[in-house]
Amino acid sequence: MDTIIALATPPGRSAIGVIRLSGPNALPLTRSLLREAQYQPTPGQTLLKDLRYPPTGELLDQALVSYFQAPHSFTGEDVVEISCHGSPIILRQVIDALLQLGARLAGPGEFTLRALASGKMNLSQAEAIRDLINSQTEVAAQQALRQLGGELSARLTPLKDQLIGLIVPLESALEFVEDDLPEVETERIKDVLLGLVKETATLASSFSSGHFLREGLRVTLAGCPNTGKSSIFNELLKTDRAIVTDLPGTTRDTLTETVNIKGMPVVLTDTAGVRESGNRVESIGVERTRRAMADADLLLVVVDGAVPLTTEDLGFLQLTAAQRRVIVVNKSDLSTFRNQLKNDLDLKARVVTVSARNHEGLEELREAILEPFISINNSEGGLLITDARHYDLLCRTQAELESASRAISAGASEELVLVGLHNALRFLGEITGETTAEDVLSRIFATFCIGK
Amino acid sequence: MSFDETFDVVVIGAGHAGCEAASAAARMGAETALITINLDLIGQMSCNPAVGGIAKGHLVREVDALGGLMGRVIDRTGIQFRLLNRSRGPAVQSPRAQADRALYRKEMRRTLENTPNLHLRQGMVIDLVTKAASIVGVEMQDTRRIRAKAVVIATGTFLNGLVHTGRRTYTAGRAGEPASIELAEALKRLGFPVGRLKTGTPPRLDGRTIDWDAFQTQYPDEDPVPFSFATDRIAQDQINCYIGYTTNELHQAIRANLHESPLYSGKIKGVGPRYCPSIEDKVVKFADKDRHQLFLEPEGHDTNEVYLNGFSTSLPAELQLELVRMVPGLEEARIIRPGYAIEYDFVDPKELGADLQSSRIGGLFHAGQINGTTGYEEAACQGLMAGINAALFIQKRESFRLRRDESYTGVLIDDLITQGVDEPYRIFTSRAEYRLALRHDNADSRLEPYGRALGLVGDTDWERFNARRDRIADLSAALNNTRLRRSDPRYAAAQSVLNSDLGDAITLAQLAQRPGINTSVLLSLLSPDVSPVSLRDLESALADSLYSGYIQTQKNTIERLHQHDALRIPRELAFTGLDGLSHEMAERLERTRPLTFGDARRIPGLTPAALSLILVELTARNRAA
Repeated sequence: MDTIIALATPPGRSAIGVIRLSGPNALPLTRSLLREAQYQPTPGQTLLKDLRYPPTGELLDQALVSYFQAPHSFTGEDVVEISCHGSPIILRQVIDALLQLGARLAGPGEFTLRALASGKMNLSQAEAIRDLINSQTEVAAQQALRQLGGELSARLTPLKDQLIGLIVPLESALEFVEDDLPEVETERIKDVLLGLVKETATLASSFSSGHFLREGLRVTLAGCPNTGKSSIFNELLKTDRAIVTDLPGTTRDTLTETVNIKGMPVVLTDTAGVRESGNRVESIGVERTRRAMADADLLLVVVDGAVPLTTEDLGFLQLTAAQRRVIVVNKSDLSTFRNQLKNDLDLKARVVTVSARNHEGLEELREAILEPFISINNSEGGLLITDARHYDLLCRTQAELESASRAISAGASEELVLVGLHNALRFLGEITGETTAEDVLSRIFATFCIGK
Repeated sequence: MSFDETFDVVVIGAGHAGCEAASAAARMGAETALITINLDLIGQMSCNPAVGGIAKGHLVREVDALGGLMGRVIDRTGIQFRLLNRSRGPAVQSPRAQADRALYRKEMRRTLENTPNLHLRQGMVIDLVTKAASIVGVEMQDTRRIRAKAVVIATGTFLNGLVHTGRRTYTAGRAGEPASIELAEALKRLGFPVGRLKTGTPPRLDGRTIDWDAFQTQYPDEDPVPFSFATDRIAQDQINCYIGYTTNELHQAIRANLHESPLYSGKIKGVGPRYCPSIEDKVVKFADKDRHQLFLEPEGHDTNEVYLNGFSTSLPAELQLELVRMVPGLEEARIIRPGYAIEYDFVDPKELGADLQSSRIGGLFHAGQINGTTGYEEAACQGLMAGINAALFIQKRESFRLRRDESYTGVLIDDLITQGVDEPYRIFTSRAEYRLALRHDNADSRLEPYGRALGLVGDTDWERFNARRDRIADLSAALNNTRLRRSDPRYAAAQSVLNSDLGDAITLAQLAQRPGINTSVLLSLLSPDVSPVSLRDLESALADSLYSGYIQTQKNTIERLHQHDALRIPRELAFTGLDGLSHEMAERLERTRPLTFGDARRIPGLTPAALSLILVELTARNRAA
C-alpha cells in the first residue's frame, strides 16, 4: 500500500485548508516536510509546526499538524492532517512538496475505499459516498475532455508518439529476432530519449505550483456577439482597452491581460463572439476564440439578459456544458432585463448577474472566478488538484525516462531499457488515455515486415 | 436417448490442443475419449515443422512445468535446437526447435496410447448433445453416440474449413482432409457467435531439386537447451537449416499476378494474421523492401520434403512453381505440395470463463484455434488448461486459472476472454506486463507446484524439481555471500577480466551485473566447496538476481495503477441495478460481463466514475462477506 494525499477541506471556502495523508509512510513523509527526524507525536496530538520545501528548506507555511495512529483513524491507516492557511498557492506548494517526497495523489473516493477495506466504514455509509465519487470523477472527465482540444493534449500527443517510436524498434528487436530487421540505432534512441526527458521536464515545471504564480489562472470570456463581454473584460481590468461598440463582432481577435484578484494572478482573455461568419478576418478570430476556450481553466459565458435568449445563446450554453464555467447574465441595468436562466434552464453552473455599465455584481463575479480553484465540493479539490495531478504524473514520467536513459547508456539489454519506457507510457496514459500492447504491436506491424 | 459408450470427458480433435487436453484429463483420473477424424495424423503440424520461438517457447516450458506433453515430445523429436536471443537478457531468451514432422506425430501417439484412462476413437463429431444448457455427449457421423459429462472442442481449422489455391476453393480441414461442416452448423444453431479467420502455408519442395550451396547455413546450437525440465540431453541428430532471399524481379512477378490471388480478388473474407503475412502481402505492403528472407527447413531425417518458410501463398499452383524458381538457388526446384490459404470458423472467446468453459453450455470447453488463436504452442497451453478444468469440473472441484503476473498462459487466456480477437491471436512477450518475471528457465519454479497439486507431476519429476530449486537457492546464497576483497587472489582475477576498479570488496552477485562477466568467469570464482554447479542452474540464479530490482519497481508501478485488478466480480452482480451507474455504462458492462475489476478496467470506453462505483461495490461486498 502506498501513501496517498488529498485536500480534505470541507466544502466551501475557508481560512484554513486541510491536507490529509494516509498510508504507512504518512509519518516519515511528514518528518521530511518538517525537517524533524525526531518528530514522534502522541497519537491525537496537534502541534504548530513549520513546513519547509524539502530541497531548499524554504519556509512554506506554519501549520497545525495532527497525527492519528493506525488503526484508530478515518482510513484505519496512519493518518496525518496538516491544517495550512487557506491560500490556494500555499496548499498547492505543500501538496507538491509531499508529492516530491513520494506521496501519491489520491484517486476519486480512494480514502473512502481504504476506510471501507479496513472496516472503518459500513456499506450504508459507503453508499452515500457514491454520489460524491460520481460528481468528482465527472469533473475529472470533463477536464480530460476539455484537454483533448487544448494545449496539454497538443503537447503530449507528439511526446507520446515519439516514445512509442522508441519502443517499436526495441520491442521488435526482442520479439522478432528471426526477421530481417534493421539494426537498432542505439545512438539515435539515446538522443531522442534525452530530448524527451527535457521536454517532459519543461512540461512538468509548467504544472508545478509556481506556475499559477507565474502564469496565473486562465479565464476566458466567451459568448455570442454583443452580449457585453468586452465591457465586463474592461470592468474586471478597469481600463478601456477593448473596443466597445454596439456592433456585433467588434472584438475580432482575442485580447489578453493579467489582473490580480484577491492575491491570485488571473490571465483574462476576451474573445470574439462565436458566430458563423463569411468574414475571413472574423473567422480567424473565431478560430482563436475556440482555442482560447479549450485552453481556459475557467470560462465566463456571457449572455444578454435584456433580450430573450437566442438559439445562438442556447447553442453556446450547450457547447460549453462540459467545461468549468460561470454564466454571467449582463445588462441588469436595462428595463427589459429578465433573468430567465435561473428559472427556465437547468444549468449545473454558478450564475452571476451583473451590470457592466453600472459596475454592479462585479464583486460576486470575482468571487465566482476564484471558487473553482479553491472549492472542493464538486471537483477533486478543484483545479488545484487536477493541476497537481498532471504535475505528479509528468514528474513520474520524467523519472522513468531518465531511468531508461541510464539503462541504455550503461549498455543494458533491450528488455531492461523497455521497463522505463513502458512505465513512462503508463504514466502519460493516465493523462491522455491508455496505450495498449495491441496499439504498440500495430505500430510494429505497420513499421516492419514481420513474419517468417 | 441411447449412447454407445460413456466417458467422463470427450475431447474433439487430436491436434496440439486436443492431445494436451485428453492427456491431462485422463491423468487426473477422468475416463477420457480423444476423437479424431484420422488416427494416423495425431499431433500433426499443419504448418511449419517447428516448436517454440520468442514467447512461444515460454508457453511450451509452462506446459511442461504443469505436466503437459509438448516439451517432452519435441525434445525427443527435434532435429534443430536453437536458443533465440542468446545475446540478450534471460527473460527474452526462448528455445526453438525444428521437428521431424512424422516422428513428432508418432511420438505423440505413442505417449497417448500409453496413458491410462485415455481412449482413442476415430470418427467425425457432427453434433453436440445438450440438455438444459449442459453438455450430455456427442454424436458422430457413423451414427455412434458418446455420452460425456464434459466435452472439449479443439477442432483447429476444421470448422467450416475452406481452402483457397488460386481461383479454386474447396472445403477441407487441412489440404486433403475433410472439413467439419455439420459441427460448425451445430455451434451456430446453439447460438454461439461465430466469426471467420484465415491462415496460410507455403509450398513444400523436393530437397533433391534445391541448390543448397546458394543458401546461407543456419547451424543448430552446439549445446541444445531442451524444452522439458525432465530432459537431460537431446538425443536426435541435429541438422542445418538454410536462409535465402527473394529478389525484386520476383516481387514484380507477384505484383503482376495479384489478380490471381484470392487474397486480392476479394474472395477471402476471413482476417489473416499481420505477423504472418503471405508473400503477396509482403510485396504489396512493404513495396520498398528489395528482398524478403526465406528459410529452408527440412521436414525430417527420412524425407526429402523441405518447408519454404516465409513464402506462404494462395496463388495458383502452376504460378507458385514459376515464382519459387525465381529464388536464387531454387531455379530447378520442384514443389511436392503447393501452398494454400484456409478460412475457418472461430467462436468468440469472450463467451468463455477463465477456465475456458463456455458460459452458454455447462461442461463445454473450447481450446485452440476455435478461440481465435494461432500456433501450436498457443493451442497446447489452452488444451492443457481446458483438459485440467474439464477434469476438475466432473470431479466438482474448483476451477484452475493462472494469473497474468505468473505465466504467459495466464496472459493469453486473459487477453482472449476479456478482449476477444479480431485477427488470429499470437503470444508476444510484450503482451505480458511482467515480462521480466516470466522467464523460460523459471517456468518450473512458477508453475510446477500447481502441476503437482493437480496430480499431473509424478514423483520422479517432483524430486527433480525440488532438487533443482534447492541447488538454485544454495547458489544464490553463495553468490550473495561470496565477497571478494582486495586481498583475495580471486579479486585480481576478476579485475583483470573487467579492466576496471571493483572497490574494496564486491560480492559475486554484484560482479555478475557488470557487463563482460560471463558464467564461466563466475564459475571459476565460486568457492570450491560449493557442490558441482550446472551451468543452467547458475544461469537461473543469476537471472533471478539480475532482474530482482527491476521486477520490484515494475511491480510497484503496476500495482499502484492496477492494485484492485484481482478483485473478482460476482456473476450475480447486476450492473443495471447499481446506484449512480449510467445506463450506457451498465449496458457496456452487462455486454462484456468482466470477471475481475482488472477486466472491467480494460473495457474500452468505461469512465473513471463507473470504475470507482464498481470498486466501491466490490470492496463493500468483500467486507460484508
